[in-house]
This record gives sequence, structure tokens and C-alpha cells, in this order.
Amino acid sequence: MKAPHSFTLFGQQLWLTPMKAIYWEDQSALILSDLHFGKTGHFRKSGIGVPQEVFKQDLQRLFHLVQYYKPKELIIVGDFFHSSYNLESDWFARWRKDHADLAITLVRGNHDILQASWYEEQAIHVQQGMYARGPFRFVHDPEELPEAENDTYTFSGHLHPGVLLSGSGKQSLRLPCFYFGKAKAILPAFSGFSGLALVSPEAGASVFAIAGQEIIPIQ
Amino acid sequence: MKLRQTIGYQVIRDWLAENNRTPFAYQEEAWQLILSGSSGLVNAPTGYGKTFSVFLGALIQYINEHPDTFRSKRPQALQLLWISPLRALAKDIGRAMEEALLALGIPWTVGIRNGDTPTSERQKQKRKSPEILIITPESLHLVLAQKGYPDFFNSLRLVAVDEWHELIGSKRGVLVELAMCRIAALRKEQEPELSFSIIGISATIGNLEQAMEVLLSPLQEEGRIVRATLPKQTELISILPDEIEKYPWAGHLGLKLVEKIIPIIEASTTTLLFINTRGMSERWYQTILDVAPHLAGAIALHHGSIEQELRIWVEDALHAGTLKCVVCTASLDLGVDFRPVETVIQVGSPKGVARFLQRAGRSGHQPGAVSRIYFLPTHSLELVEAAALKAAMDKQLIESREPFLLCYDVLIQYLSTLAISEGFTSEQAYHEVKSTFCFREMTKAEWQQVLQFLVHGGQALQQYDEYKKVELIDGLYRITSRRVAMRHRMHIGTIVSDAMLKVKFVSGGYIGVIEEWFISKLEPGEVFTLAGRNLELVMIKDMTVLVRKSTSKKSIVPSWMGGRMPLSANLGQLLRQTLNEAGKAGPDNIEMYALAPLFELQNQLSQVPEENELLIEQIETKDGFHLYVYPFEGRLVHEAMAAILAYRISKIQPISFSFAMNDYGFELLSDQPIPVDDTNVYELFSTENLFADIQRSVNSTEMAKRKFRDIAVIGGLLFQGYPGEHKKARHLQASASLLFKVFQEYEPDNLLMRQAYQEVFDQQMEETRLRNMLERIQQSRIILRFPEKLTPFCFPIKVDSKREQLSSETLEDRVRKMQLQLLK
Repeated sequence: MKAPHSFTLFGQQLWLTPMKAIYWEDQSALILSDLHFGKTGHFRKSGIGVPQEVFKQDLQRLFHLVQYYKPKELIIVGDFFHSSYNLESDWFARWRKDHADLAITLVRGNHDILQASWYEEQAIHVQQGMYARGPFRFVHDPEELPEAENDTYTFSGHLHPGVLLSGSGKQSLRLPCFYFGKAKAILPAFSGFSGLALVSPEAGASVFAIAGQEIIPIQ
Repeated sequence: MKLRQTIGYQVIRDWLAENNRTPFAYQEEAWQLILSGSSGLVNAPTGYGKTFSVFLGALIQYINEHPDTFRSKRPQALQLLWISPLRALAKDIGRAMEEALLALGIPWTVGIRNGDTPTSERQKQKRKSPEILIITPESLHLVLAQKGYPDFFNSLRLVAVDEWHELIGSKRGVLVELAMCRIAALRKEQEPELSFSIIGISATIGNLEQAMEVLLSPLQEEGRIVRATLPKQTELISILPDEIEKYPWAGHLGLKLVEKIIPIIEASTTTLLFINTRGMSERWYQTILDVAPHLAGAIALHHGSIEQELRIWVEDALHAGTLKCVVCTASLDLGVDFRPVETVIQVGSPKGVARFLQRAGRSGHQPGAVSRIYFLPTHSLELVEAAALKAAMDKQLIESREPFLLCYDVLIQYLSTLAISEGFTSEQAYHEVKSTFCFREMTKAEWQQVLQFLVHGGQALQQYDEYKKVELIDGLYRITSRRVAMRHRMHIGTIVSDAMLKVKFVSGGYIGVIEEWFISKLEPGEVFTLAGRNLELVMIKDMTVLVRKSTSKKSIVPSWMGGRMPLSANLGQLLRQTLNEAGKAGPDNIEMYALAPLFELQNQLSQVPEENELLIEQIETKDGFHLYVYPFEGRLVHEAMAAILAYRISKIQPISFSFAMNDYGFELLSDQPIPVDDTNVYELFSTENLFADIQRSVNSTEMAKRKFRDIAVIGGLLFQGYPGEHKKARHLQASASLLFKVFQEYEPDNLLMRQAYQEVFDQQMEETRLRNMLERIQQSRIILRFPEKLTPFCFPIKVDSKREQLSSETLEDRVRKMQLQLLK
């Protein structure tokens, strides 16, 4: 695994990884969003044969991240599971058993519609609306941010942000990105089965594109 | 059996004689063919009784077999299945048949079955079958999706496939092939002693023999071609601009010439004005009304996005001769003749000889009359095409329509269709499918993969997998889920359109449909043009665009995708030949003579290439370093060639390109000098390693991505939303590009992915044509020029073209060179 990119925000040490997650050193937490677990299963159950391999590799990527950083907590900023229950939830449950010590906090997103009992069984703490931790707050949809308070900063997901890069000779590229605005950050979608929505960065924002195995600062 | 001695022939001949008609020789030949229980292809132009050449043959056969009862008894079972590509044709053909049946006193009924047929009518057809059914290929597959469909065909004797030349070069043709293999096998099972015939009806194309072979393949028997040798004369008249613009710009010139066509419209009873794209047809309609307001009410617009009722009204008005002019697109290429049409005007390149002749044939219907067609160029260089078309008409050089091969998407759809109704066994279905031309090269292993895809959704037996579509139950492959079956029925067919939204007035009243991607770029309050009206967007609600009338003079004309046919190989070759005349043509060669000033400038700055030469221009501008190449092989071949050339150059040194093309040539653009010179130019255009280089040029991925959308819809991976369901199905939505990305990354050997790449090779890059081109170039003289400024040849490529890219630099390097582009 290539070295992650160091980024400090509100005095907190963050590590941006090309595996589409942030390691928050001060809290020993892994921040990620829009995993859409079970999406391939949901499609396949309806007779649409998308490769199950997508989910398998997403799960492996999560495993690598947990092995490498050994976080105490996973903070999932919404859309953890794609839709209603299917067997791929069981696959995750098996994985969960092997990582029983890991605390998991899910800030509920619009896709998180599983029964409360399922989250309980998996020892996932489901947070409605907003989750606060140190100087940071976590809200799934950046459109639904509560009023800004001083000295706080919000992390969101939902958008699956990407940037459009263009060069001379009319070349262009679309890449997923981490976006850090003045008061809010938007996380890239963790899921391999997700598209991109291009964002237009505001002045003073920091944007990091994920190009293959590298994090490239853009702005 | 001798045709003329049969009672059936006599009945038909007497009836024709009563109406002072005698059968054409080719019609009798076709009747004889049907009577002897054989199959074949009738080659006849529209307007010469091609419908009767097959329909009356079926009647003669029936009368001969039921000489005593043909007037008194109805068989009440399907006798003749008439497959027609166009819904619009069905009504007219049905009417003509009904009139004949009535006059002959034969109590058959004619049914019509297509997407517009109401459910009640379909139910009625199922209960009491009509003797003749006029049907589209899609609706025929819907019949095959019904339980008990074999009974529906249990008296069928003859299948006619109308306008086969239109179907053969498309996946709709594959639908016909598959339906034929099923029905032919069924008939052999049901009544092995009775004859069963398939007769295709086709206009002239370059590969008629092959067209017949494709259609009759499931019968495993030789057929015969019946030709109507009826001469048709065509005259081409170019509309010349007063002054030739030396820097041609596509789409720019055309509308400026509008004044010149008003007198032509006024002098004719009815004029058809063919425009290549729907977007431009809207603009032409507006412009004609602006310069000739007195034509209001006598001019109409006809294209694929216009509400069907309005289109039917236009077609009826064309029959009645009440319109002076109809601005239309390929939507009026096909179908019955509109007798009052006296004049045809083609705006812009027709892209091919066959298409041009077909459009010309829209005028002058009386046998023996001259078809007159005016050609109006949209940029001055297109006048070369007019000169080339004249040569093509003299030599009767008409394009072939290549049949599609190994379309697994269509096969997957077809097998799902059978799985819904009666189910199928692997053995029998394999045997039948192999009998088609499309799938005759399919291996047993590929067949197994298709079944595996249907049953397991790719790899078999995965952990935690709940894939379910087709199940193997007691040896039969079946779909048992009602929801899957319903969704499949809604998606039968191979014409994939962009997501379309209905456009309605807030006050009610339907206007037409429009592509979702276009409307999603507009803000409420903005004005766009559809069906010749300026409309202000109010809101989008439940898949409907609500608008109100606008008086605003400014509006956005939607640019529709599609309709961008590439130049045919025939026409390309003729263009290169015609350029030999550049600068030498006398006043009798009107077009080339008019272009003299443009050629003079081209020669001054660079050169006009002759037939055995390939021109390459290298120019530096503030945009970067340009390389222009002019093979005249059509946009698609140029796109592929640009990618391959870019790839080959990028092996010399790390370099990134973007490229652009039109039908005449292509451009590579880079931010550094492009290393092409006398020492390496032949090598860069060599056929060596062509296949490998195609595969390595990044572009094939981009091209495959575009192909994949259609394949994914046809193969059932992607659903185009349908009313009522779209909210529930939201968690099942994925864009085609996302699916492509996922397969590319996680399952690149998937059958449908491989097909996407194969289609890129066969159709997009036209690999055979590409190879022929490179071989030709190896034999020609390559001319390298370094003009100081843009030349007349390169200008149209530079100003209006779509761009692609290729790079041999690493992703990270490229990113560093780029700037972040801020979205609006």
C-alpha cells in the first residue's frame, strides 16, 4: 500500500488514503462513507448479473484498512448498506465476528433501511441525523447540515464527489476525490459500484484526487 | 404446378383485369415461387406492386388448395405473417390487402400488431386469429413470450419480410432471424408434409444474394431472387452558393441558402426537404417560416421526436397533397409512397449512395418518370460529394448492408423470451439458434456461457449469492418470477433510445418527447424548440416536462444524439476519384467548377490530393500542434485510425493527444511537436500488428463503453424506467457507464463485454475497411505538408468535431499537467 497523504485540519492529524477512507489519528478512527454494501446482491437477486466480485473486493479493502491502521472505531457517514436485506449482509456479518472489538458508528443515510435489530446484532451504533466527535461532526447529506456552530467542521458523503481535470489538447479525466471546503468536507464513495458527481470547488477549498494508487492534491 | 393453369391464378388475373391491370412479369415469377413451396427474395422498388407480388401469391396458393370453399369459409387461423419494420406502413398495407380481399370475396381478416395495438385488440387476435397479421419484429417476439404461442402458428404457410434491406444491417434483423428459426422448426414439427415459405422483400443493395442467405438460413434450403427489372431515372441538381466560402464550416452554409429553395418549393406540388439531424430540421423549419411566412400552414415538420398523432397527420396530408413542403429526417426514408411528392431536396451529405437514391425515389412515382433531387450543401466541400454521387448513379454503385454476427445480447433476450412462455431445452434451442446466419459460428462453449449467464449471472455457484433469473426445471429453462417476466416483456426489442421524457403543456396537450439529458441541462424559464414551437420550461414532474408557449425569439435547439451516419466506403472512394478533377474541371462539371477558388487556396497553402495520394498536413496554432490526415473513409474509420496512429506515435515518445474527425479526415492535437516525417510515415500507416494496436489504443475502451449501453439494455442488465415502477426500482438503477466500469474492472471477460469490443471492431472501427484503407495507403504516395495557417480542408475538422483522447503518459503525469476545470 502506498503511503497515505497527510492532512491537518482543526489541529487534527488526518491521513487520506487512495483506498477511499480517512484515518483520523487523534481518535484512532477510520472515516468512510457510501459503502453501499449488498448492492451487487440486490441487483443479482433481481436477475441483473453484475459481478459479485465488486462487493468481495470492497470488503477486502475494508479488511486491509482495518489491518493496517488498527482503528478503534469505524465512522461510516451513511449509505452503509445499499437496500433491504440480502445474503451479502450475512457475508459482512461473518467479517464482523472477526472484528468484534471494533466500534462501528453509522450515521444513517438515505439507503440505510435495514431493520433496527440487524444493526443491533452487528453491534453497529446507528446515529440519526448528526454524530459529533471532537471538533468534527458527521452528517450523511451535506444539504441537510444543521446550522453551523463555531469551531466545528462537518464531514459528509452522499454525493460521490469527483473532479473533472482538463489539460491542453482538450484532454479530460474524471476522478473521485476528497473535498475539504471551509466548513465541510465531502468524502468519496467507498463502494466500487458507484458513479461520480462532479463538484465545483469553492475558493479556498482543498481537493485531493484519487488517481489509481495515489492521492494527488489538485487545489 | 404451372401457375397460369391454376384456378387461383385465374381468379386473381380476372380481378386485376377488371381493374384494367395486368401483373408485372416479376410478380408472376414470385407467385410461381410461392406456389411451388419455395422461398426467396423479391427485389423491387417501392411503387411497383411489391406487396401484391407476395400477398396475392399467398391467396393463389390458398385458392388452389381450397378451390370450392375459398369464398365461403374462413380458416380462422393465421395463414400469412407479414413482418414490417415500420408501424406506419402497417396501416396502408393492411388497407390495400383488405380492399383486395373484399373485391375478391375472400373472407379473410387482416390484423395489425405493433406497439400501438391496444390490449383488447391483442386479446381478440389471440382468441380468434386473423388470417393475415402485419407485425413488427419486436411484437413478433412478444407473441413468442406468450404461453401457448405454438398454436398461434399452427396453420401458417408463408412469412413475408418487408423492407428486409432495412432490417438486415441491424439487430432488428437478428430478431427476425431468431423468430424465423423458431417458427420454421415449429412448422416442421406441426405439419411436416406442408410447405412453409419465407419471402423477403428488399430494395437493391450491394449484397442481395447474402441478404437472402441470411433470411433463409433457418430453412436450410436454397432460395431464388426474383428481380423487378424496372429502370428508374434519377437527376441530381446542386444548389450552388453565390460565392464559395474558402473556409467551409459545417452547418453554417446550409441555412444561408434558404432563399434559394423557396422558389423550388413554390414551383412544386409537394416538396420533401431531407435534413440529416432532428436538431437541424427544427432550425430549417423555423428559418423557412421566417423567410417565407406565406407558407405557414402549408409546411410541416416530421421527425422521430414528434408526437405520433402529428406525424400521422403529416403523412395523411402528404397523401392528400395538401402540404407544400415537409421538413423531415430519416423518419420519412421508409414507407409507402406519397404520390403527390414531386420534388426532393437533400440538405447536407446523404452519406451513402443507397440512401441518396432512396430519397430521390421519393419523387416521380409514375413508372418511367424521372426522380428529381436537389442537393443543398451545408459546407462548400460537400459539393464534391454531389459530383461523386452523380458518378455513383451512373455506375450503379450501391452499398451493401452487412448482417450482424454473434449478437449475444439479442440471443440472451430471445432465450429469456422463450423462458417466459413455454421454456426451452438446451439441445433444441442450440440446434435452432445455430441454424441462423447470425449464430452459425457460435461454439458449444459459447452457448454454455450464454446459459450460464442466464442461470447464474456470470460465474456459477458463488458464496452468499442469490442470483435468480432463468431456472432449469426438469430439463426446461424457465423464468418463474412474475416480476422478472413483466420487466422482460417491457424491454423486448433492440432499439435503445436515450431516456425520453414526454413534453406537455401545463394547460394539457401533448407535444412530443425529448431526451432527458438535454432537458436536464435547462433551467426553468429557459426556452427550447420542439416540433417547430418555442417552448418555455416550467417544470419537470413525474417523467413529464411541463412547458408553456413562448414568444421569445431566442431558443435552444436540442441536438439529438444518433443520426450521425458515417460516409460509406463507396462514396468515399468516389470522393477520392472526384478530387482528381479539382482545378481541372470545366463548366460542365458544375460542382467541381464552382469549387475552383477553394481548391486554388488549398493548393496554395498545401495540396489537393489525387486518388492515389494521401495528404498529411502539420500546422502549429495557439492550441498546440496539429496533424491532419485525409483518407476520406468516413467518421468511424477515421476515429479508429486516429486512435491507432496516436498510439503508434506515442510509442516513439511519451505524448498525449486529443483527436477529432469528420467524414473526410481526422486531426491529432498535442501540446508538443508530433514526430511524423518522411522516415516513419509509411511505418505509422502499416497493417502490421494492426489488431494488437487496435486493442492497445485506449480508444477502444471508450468506444466499447458507448456500444455497451445498447448491449446492456438489450441483454437485460439495464432498465429504462417505466411509468409507476420508477420509484420502487430506484435501488436497481445504475448508469450504463457505471455498469461498464464495474465489468471492465471486475469481470472483463463477461460475454456482453466481449461483445461490446467485438462490435467496436466490426462496426465502429470497421476493421476490414480499416485494413483495406491501410493497404491502399501503402500503395499510395504520402504527401507531407507544413502549411503556415489552416487550410480549407482542415478547417471543418477543427471547428466542428467531437474529440477523443489517447495518452502514453502515466495517469499521475497527466494529472499534473492539467488544470482543474471549474464547473459552471
